[in-house]
Amino acid sequence: MSEEIDVKLEQEVAEFYQSLGIHQGPGDIQYRVILRVLGKNEGKITEFAEIRKYTDQFADKGSIGSKMKTVFQLEGLAEKVKRGGYVITDKGITASNFLKDSTAFYKKNKRMGEIIERMP
Amino acid sequence: MSAGLLLNATICFAITISSFAFAWVLARSEDEHSEKSKPALWSLVVLWSLVGLTYLPTTVRMVAAYIGNPTLDFMMYNLAAIPFSFVSVPLVFFIMYVIVGDKRISAYTSLLFVFFGVSYLTFLYTKGVIGPEVSDFSSLFMINSDIAISIYLMGLFVIPTAMILGLLFLIFLQRMPKRLRYRTALPLVAISFVFDFMLTDMITLIDAMQLAARIFVLIGTVQAFLAYFPPLTLQEKLGIKRYSYELYESPEDIDDINGEDGEDIDV
Repeated sequence: MSEEIDVKLEQEVAEFYQSLGIHQGPGDIQYRVILRVLGKNEGKITEFAEIRKYTDQFADKGSIGSKMKTVFQLEGLAEKVKRGGYVITDKGITASNFLKDSTAFYKKNKRMGEIIERMP
Repeated sequence: MSAGLLLNATICFAITISSFAFAWVLARSEDEHSEKSKPALWSLVVLWSLVGLTYLPTTVRMVAAYIGNPTLDFMMYNLAAIPFSFVSVPLVFFIMYVIVGDKRISAYTSLLFVFFGVSYLTFLYTKGVIGPEVSDFSSLFMINSDIAISIYLMGLFVIPTAMILGLLFLIFLQRMPKRLRYRTALPLVAISFVFDFMLTDMITLIDAMQLAARIFVLIGTVQAFLAYFPPLTLQEKLGIKRYSYELYESPEDIDDINGEDGEDIDV
């Protein structure tokens, strides 16, 4: 899959979920971007440097490394195959698909919100 | 000279008064609306004004039929045809603006319906009408141009109705709070009611159908009122009442929250 990752959009979506009281998973920008990068490289090794290319805009190296260990590796969403190299698991793909659905829900909700806003 | 014609005239007058009143109330509430919803609000004001302007000469027309004045009847029919032909213009603008959110695109699309309206009027006036045929309940005219009827059905009826149904479908597909669903769907149902039955009213050749269509136009106008200004009992019944409340915070609660053991928290 060669989909582009829009960090700004991911941030918007995360903020939307945070506003609903969902601060983990879909409401966590770090989780979103890491999972998007891992999902983009399905079947290939994802270098930590590639993840950082996107996450450096909003988080430091330490917190991303910690997230990789405490969430992705611990829950079995990604496996470390070499130093600084990760592969997404089947469970990770499920999480990635859920993330895509969460983006679609956000877009649908936003579009409808705008329509309602324009209704007198 | 039957009472049925007077009843018809009364219904037309009721539609006129309620449409103008509704347009006026909407226009007066301009300050309560956001900048984004103002273009749609004004298109609704124009729409309801055009409905009123269509039924004002129609009221006179029914009175003219009652007193047996076919010339006045004919003149009023031609006069009512003008606002009627342009009813779809603000309607299309309203729907396009609500869906797309671009004033320019909405204006250009509605301009197309100005063209439809002008074409309809041109064919109507050049080919003329046959009538009036006065019955117990109504006075009917038959449009003497097939092209006018085709424009009327395709341009003025099918497309705007499909647009309303599309927007309604979009709203029903989305899960949203009951209050918002009521606030968005009911005005559309009301507009659809009024618009569709106005067209039925203008094209029908059966007097009872014309009277029934006008009753439904009146029901649609009342529905539109209820959509924007629902009475309290209806709000409670439908569960759409907006309660005005203040955040509850009493000193006892604060003590409870700050309590050391926190066992006897009163919720």
